[in-house]
Amino acid sequence: MHYGYGYFEEDRLKKSGDLKLWRRIMIYVAPRWLEVSGAIILALVITGCSLALPDLIRRAIDDFIVNSQLDSAARLAGVSDLALIFLVLLVTGFAAHFLQVIILEWTGQQIMHRMRQDLFSHMLSLETAFFNRNPVGKLVTRLTNDIQNMHEMFTSVIVTLFNDMVRIAGILVILCLMNWRLALLMMLLIPVIIFNTVLFSRLARLAFREIRTQLARINAFLQEALSGISVIQLFARERDTLRRFGELNESFLQRCFYQIKIFGLFMPMLELLSAVAVALIIWYGGGQIIRERMSMGELVAFLTYMRLFFQPLRDLSQKYSIVQSSLASAERIFQLLDTVGNLPVAAEPKRAAAIRGGIEFDRVTFGYGKAQPVVKELTFRAEPGETVAIVGATGAGKTTIINLLERFYDPDRGRIRLDGIDLQDLAPEDLRQQIGLVMQDVYIFPATFRENIVMDRAISAQRLNEIIAAAQLSGFIRNLPAGLETRIGEGGQDLSAGQRQLLAMARVLSRDSRILVLDEATSSVDTETEMLIEKALAATMANRTSIIIAHRLSTIRRADRIIVMDRGRIVEEGDHEALMAENGVYHRLISLQNGKNGGG
Amino acid sequence: MARKLLLNSAQIRKARKAGRVLMPIFRKYRTRILLGFLALLGVDLLQLLIPRVIKSAIDSLQYAGATGASLLRHGALIVAIAGAIAACRFVWRYLILGFSRMLERDLRNRILEKLVELDRPFFNRRPAGEIMALAGNDLTAVQMACGIGLVSCVDAVMMTGAAIAFMAYIDPKLTLLALAPMPILALLTGLLTALLHKRFSRVQEQFSRLTEFSRSTLGAIRLIKAYNQEVAQTGYFDKMGRDYVKNNLRLAVVQGALFPFSTMIANFSLLLVVYFGGRLTIVGTISIGDFVAFMSYLFLMTWPMMAIGWVTTLFQRGITSLDRINRVLVEEPAVREPAVPLPMPQSNQLLVLRDLTFGHLPAAPPVLNGISLEIKPGFTGVVGKTGAGKTTLCQLLARIYPVADRQYFWEDIDVNRLGLREVRSRIAYVPQDTLLFSDTIEANIAFSRPGAAQQEIEKAARLAAIHDEIISLDKGYQTRVGERGVLLSGGQRQRIALARALLTDRPVIIIDDGLSAVDTDTEHRIIANFREWLPGRTCVMVSHRVAPILEADQIVVLADGGIAARGTHRELLVRNRFYRTIHDHQMSNPGTGD
Repeated sequence: MHYGYGYFEEDRLKKSGDLKLWRRIMIYVAPRWLEVSGAIILALVITGCSLALPDLIRRAIDDFIVNSQLDSAARLAGVSDLALIFLVLLVTGFAAHFLQVIILEWTGQQIMHRMRQDLFSHMLSLETAFFNRNPVGKLVTRLTNDIQNMHEMFTSVIVTLFNDMVRIAGILVILCLMNWRLALLMMLLIPVIIFNTVLFSRLARLAFREIRTQLARINAFLQEALSGISVIQLFARERDTLRRFGELNESFLQRCFYQIKIFGLFMPMLELLSAVAVALIIWYGGGQIIRERMSMGELVAFLTYMRLFFQPLRDLSQKYSIVQSSLASAERIFQLLDTVGNLPVAAEPKRAAAIRGGIEFDRVTFGYGKAQPVVKELTFRAEPGETVAIVGATGAGKTTIINLLERFYDPDRGRIRLDGIDLQDLAPEDLRQQIGLVMQDVYIFPATFRENIVMDRAISAQRLNEIIAAAQLSGFIRNLPAGLETRIGEGGQDLSAGQRQLLAMARVLSRDSRILVLDEATSSVDTETEMLIEKALAATMANRTSIIIAHRLSTIRRADRIIVMDRGRIVEEGDHEALMAENGVYHRLISLQNGKNGGG
Repeated sequence: MARKLLLNSAQIRKARKAGRVLMPIFRKYRTRILLGFLALLGVDLLQLLIPRVIKSAIDSLQYAGATGASLLRHGALIVAIAGAIAACRFVWRYLILGFSRMLERDLRNRILEKLVELDRPFFNRRPAGEIMALAGNDLTAVQMACGIGLVSCVDAVMMTGAAIAFMAYIDPKLTLLALAPMPILALLTGLLTALLHKRFSRVQEQFSRLTEFSRSTLGAIRLIKAYNQEVAQTGYFDKMGRDYVKNNLRLAVVQGALFPFSTMIANFSLLLVVYFGGRLTIVGTISIGDFVAFMSYLFLMTWPMMAIGWVTTLFQRGITSLDRINRVLVEEPAVREPAVPLPMPQSNQLLVLRDLTFGHLPAAPPVLNGISLEIKPGFTGVVGKTGAGKTTLCQLLARIYPVADRQYFWEDIDVNRLGLREVRSRIAYVPQDTLLFSDTIEANIAFSRPGAAQQEIEKAARLAAIHDEIISLDKGYQTRVGERGVLLSGGQRQRIALARALLTDRPVIIIDDGLSAVDTDTEHRIIANFREWLPGRTCVMVSHRVAPILEADQIVVLADGGIAARGTHRELLVRNRFYRTIHDHQMSNPGTGD
């Protein structure tokens, strides 16, 4: 076995600059400028309050505590006054901080919501081929975890970043005012800090990307193992599955260790630099005091401000992990948003005045990949109101015809027309509006039975009951614990394959489309039920164009015309009697079903 | 009242249960953890030395004659200590954060180990998206709590303890004053975290609902498109997203109060030190160096104090998440293994059902009711209306759902007394829903028997009448199947699944409508192949079409969970109206089937 299931190759992302990413993120932030500026103003208030505190302490020391010119009472009173100001600043700082957190959360959530919606609707607009290339698990990760990562950045980083810059600038100004010589000496440390941070950022970014890629692999594996759990158990492949999962997991651990090492090397670096700053203050600042160029209060204030100076830097590196992982997420999100569909949509789609339902395939050739085409030079017509059955061996290209008709894919060569209009000139939603499709695979949403049938339509209770009766579901629904409101799909009531097909039938009946396309719509339904559905369908199909793919003769016979396909080509065409008389492929298929040829 | 404010009993119970899951893992890595915390202790002790050096430098400046050389010595000492701190920091990060990742790996492996052991009833209850969230977000929360959370907690305790000791050494009364705001902090933190916990759970739930919704929508993309549901689905998603936003905000109100509040309390302590410590310095009780050192110690405590809120959040999340994980880990499969399994019968596979009754829910009417049936080696066909219980019958035979005692026998032994693995390993079951993995066709077929020779794989594929189609593909057996087998037709997928089952060469094969998408011609070839392959084996086939089961040794007609009729094709044509009806309808000349 060369590949694990759930395996996928994470695209090697091209190195798009951080700046470009930020610019795109800012496009989302811009509409929220009011909230953001509010948060920034609050940031100024918070910074102001926190920077004023050490200065208050300096004054307390220089003006009162070590000031031998004042008497004790005056010194004590001075300290009390400063303490009161201190208290006011504390409370203001708290209020501003709280308000800021709330505003940031609100803003961040709104932005993320917007982004999630954009991403979701963008994904839904992409063509079917895209979903063949990208496993669902990976796409879900983009919508949930990646967006979540970005949210972390919004609430805890963007304004904090501004916050920190204001704070650092403020500290430098204060230090310069107090003692410019010592302040200049301190600034010598800044290039070292920047170098450290930049180098670290590069390495950390890489490490995070590795971790994320591996995590996505683990998720994809788990996703597929979960959906295939019964197969794994049936064939006793538990141990093997666990082994492969363990390997993925182990490799994830190794990547985590790499990241831990990077962080373990760089994070203490900053603490070391902060200690160097303290040592410089003691040595050089102390010297200044000896030369009486500096007061004791100033020295203490220096020590405090340096601590305040390094605090955001330490925060910065801590928050770096958040920024790193969210930029990686942003990159993937935007990459997905930039993925454009391959199905061109007409700029000015044509609208047929009244759709009559005539379908025409004109020398259509199509293949899913570069591999050989699945349908070749296909030409046929279905007149308005006509019922056409398509028969042929599996793999003959029957379902592909439907994929093309629904415009899930465009033909490589040739044209498909609806009432004479090329499908590519129609708006896809207008086209699909006209087609009621029942697919081989019936998808059930985790929702109620009713929601699964009517979906986004508004249908009267009476009409819904008629539909359910026609789809032979009345008896089944009556026995459900909550009737139509029973939840089905994952986590809800289990449905058999046949019941699911009946549900799909009800779905199509509720759409009332001009064209009916049934792809093996009743293959899992018992014959008796099928007969009843056919009766209901016959009434529905009366004046509609219908295309039916089926194996069962009883279903095929009803068609006005039968198209027999073999390996992507039409080999026979005509009604049942004519084709039987022809004694060709169709005749053989039918005799097999009747068991007349059962000897061989 | 006070107890209610801090931690409620449910949370304590959860934490205790959670501890039981983690204990063995902690024990496994105890050396690593111990060394890590030793390094952390080193960091803390060394950190506390620095204010002492600062104090002595400042006092020498204020009271005794400090020289340039003595100041340089002080500075060098500080840098040296800081260097040692950096080394210790690297060590604890490597050891403890590494441990948390190892714990994450171990737990993740354990989750899957449990999942592959659990059976259908569990997966019917738990949507896949929910389980995915368990192995994703929840696991991360646990890892964070056991890594950085644990470190911060231990660090905070050690640091606070040591700082308090040093402060008390300078002046005990001032220390008491500086610490006075602490109890308020503890009380309020307790109150807020209880609330936080509740709101966080809701956010997590909402998150998994969002995950599940996008998963099911994207999985059904063709339906969405065909039915123009893009706008409607985006609308639902929007609604869920807004709900998620709202709950996040409710969480943020609590969380937002917690952190600034701790900051304020920390600064309030500083205020007290400035006010009272200043007085003490003025009256000469403590030196100015003591005053500065005191503030330095208080700063050392600031981070741990501010971290209280953050660490509690981490632990809250960790406990909530661990509880969710634990609830899966303690699940047991519904089909139980007997304590002492009897040896498997040696002779041919005779399966006997005696008055078999089964329902998914005790309250609902049973799906199968009083089925008595002997399935001898040979070919048994099963027909019946949709919902008659055909699939359930297959699933019970294949031991996917539990059966009551003395209702299902192999030869004359109750299956409940046989080893589950042994029984399952004798049955090849082809379920109604075809599931292939995104892997090569060859790997998909060989999935059932790793290491099978190419010849054997091809033999199985020929038997399932799919070999010719596979080799006509560009890459033949090496063609990759798209996710969920998108690029193959329904019939092709069914036959690959059939080949996969046939490759196992197990004595009993159960095919639940596994040829529904296969065309008549191919189906006929498969049945013909079966005839040569069947002798000595037992085959049960559910079918909606009469053609494949015409020659079955016995055909069972199911209706409403019971057996309506049983016999050969000819017998049933005479005896059973339902069988006759479907037969006539499927054959070309209605009414002449008899």
